[in-house]
Amino acid sequence: MSEKLYTIISKVFSVPISVINDESGPETIESWDSFNILILVDELENNFNIKFSVSEIIDIKNVKDIKRHLKNHGVV
Amino acid sequence: MERKLSEYISLSQTIDVTKSSKKIKVGILSSFTINGLDETLTVKCSELDIEYKSYVAGYNQYNQEILDPKSNLYLSAPDITFLIIDIRTLLNEIFHHPYSISSSERKKIVKEKISELRNLILQFKKNCRSKLIISNFSLPSYSPSGLIETKSEFGFHDMISEINQELSKIAKDESSVYVYNFNQFVSKFGEKNIFDYRQFFIGDIKIAFDYIPYLANDLMGYIKPMLGLNKKCIVLDLDNTLWGGIVGEDEFDGIELGQSSNGKAFVEFQKHLLSLWQQGIILAINSKNNFEDAIKVIREHPDMILKEEHFASLQINWNDKAQNLKAISEELNIGLGSIVYFDDDPVNQERIKQEIPEVLTVKLPEDPSQYTDILMSLNDFNVLQKTDEDLKRGKMYSQQRQRVELEQSTKNIDDFLKQLNIKVKIKKADKFTIPRISQLTLKTNQFNLTTKRYQEEDIIKFSSDNNMIVGCAQIEDKFGDSGITNAFIIEKNDKEWKIDTFLLSCRIIGRGIEDAIISYILKEAKNQGVEKIRADFISTKKNSPAEGFLPNCGFKKENEHWIYDLKDPIKSPHHLLLEAE
Repeated sequence: MSEKLYTIISKVFSVPISVINDESGPETIESWDSFNILILVDELENNFNIKFSVSEIIDIKNVKDIKRHLKNHGVV
Repeated sequence: MERKLSEYISLSQTIDVTKSSKKIKVGILSSFTINGLDETLTVKCSELDIEYKSYVAGYNQYNQEILDPKSNLYLSAPDITFLIIDIRTLLNEIFHHPYSISSSERKKIVKEKISELRNLILQFKKNCRSKLIISNFSLPSYSPSGLIETKSEFGFHDMISEINQELSKIAKDESSVYVYNFNQFVSKFGEKNIFDYRQFFIGDIKIAFDYIPYLANDLMGYIKPMLGLNKKCIVLDLDNTLWGGIVGEDEFDGIELGQSSNGKAFVEFQKHLLSLWQQGIILAINSKNNFEDAIKVIREHPDMILKEEHFASLQINWNDKAQNLKAISEELNIGLGSIVYFDDDPVNQERIKQEIPEVLTVKLPEDPSQYTDILMSLNDFNVLQKTDEDLKRGKMYSQQRQRVELEQSTKNIDDFLKQLNIKVKIKKADKFTIPRISQLTLKTNQFNLTTKRYQEEDIIKFSSDNNMIVGCAQIEDKFGDSGITNAFIIEKNDKEWKIDTFLLSCRIIGRGIEDAIISYILKEAKNQGVEKIRADFISTKKNSPAEGFLPNCGFKKENEHWIYDLKDPIKSPHHLLLEAE
């Protein structure tokens, strides 16, 4: 999952994959804002064929949170 | 296929279009979050080599931006401004509770909302020369009164319909204001797709971002004609494009047209092409065929909707298709950039794309049932005003074919010109001619001394200026009326006049008309005691037909300018009749 996830994150936020880790979030990635999170969610939903709820989306504060929610949707 | 918004956003960061001759400044105002629209427009403009600059107003700031004469919107001096207000914002509480009040109160609210919108439009016009594109309001599929909504006395849906109708009425009276039919946009793609509750709750997004690129595409429909990038001519292949099968092999009775399912698809496609022709789009044929085989179908097939008279040029031969396209462009005297090309063969499509990239080559699938939808999805035929000349264009091109036939049968050019019985009627700029004068400045590329582009508002301003002359000429001959096909703008000083603009529609070049009009201007100046006329030739990629005009008329180069000394005698051609209003 991580590899695919990092590729998507890197594309949406226009950052190299090498700078992404579990703690990446608005503090470390400049383009991490509420609009781009929605774009990211859209990409994740299309790529992993899942659908997030509003509470899951607004809960996303860093990459670790995204992984947790993906796991809950059965993405391994 | 449209790309995703995320792609546009990342592409927009790599774009750098500067020093293009085509520039546009756009203002974007909205009542909700519309992130990504600006980025998508940046990319779409760059693909057409347009230098795009924009001012995007803050979230829901449209009222302040419009009402404050010193706002940043006005400081940015946009050429075109998109104002997108959604129905929830406009109606506020009433959107959810339309039946908490009486029908007369609903009427009153609608009146108030209309006057709010009218005021915004008028204030905008007062403060800014930009065109204003205001979206209308989408009619929700839901009503709290359910099935009997349609029976309600001035119900919820009636309120919105009324606002939309009144908005259209306001725009009809204001030449620089257009209504963008957002309601139609929503019905095309579906309310359930456009309005995404999750995006709405999280970000106050009222157009789901998957659809922002489609919205941008519609808005490009306004930008393209402003820069003269609209298409004028559709060039069509025949076999498997206008009918199914290959007439050379399947023969007259074997082609699919009319009866079968595929045959109906071709008929439908032809009907839509005909309706574009009726709106002034020129049609032409580019086909590899024996001329006799193909023309027999066009002339005699009972299900053929398009007839010979609808085609301005018939290139039916075994020549290379790229060469044929260039021949059509020369024959009709229209730029390759004004042509859309339909051909079912992917090899031909690729060949034209490579050889003549200016032509818009449509990607046609194998299945003809998709042709009509693809034709209707093109937003390249839009114009922002339609004049009588536009609607008559199809007919004018067939008259032109007759003129060429006369020219070919007449031995010398002077006899030909005499036989044409040309009449030149000089007219002043007034409310009938102003839209056409503006249109000519926007569209004329070849015989144009300075290629200055002017919107209708500019022409209105010039024509009310006492130190300027704005005029045009209508041309008639024995074959018919070519309409207003010349325009000129002159700046007057006591001793010297300056020709700001002088242009001629390409279809009347070479008949001495330009000489007659310039000699009229020279005589006018002389009568008013002017000593000199100054003119400039600003060279572009396309205006070489106008290059020799000034020296041929007797203008002499002094420093950077062309000067006509009015002490010199003024020549005028004798084969035509000139009248001035």
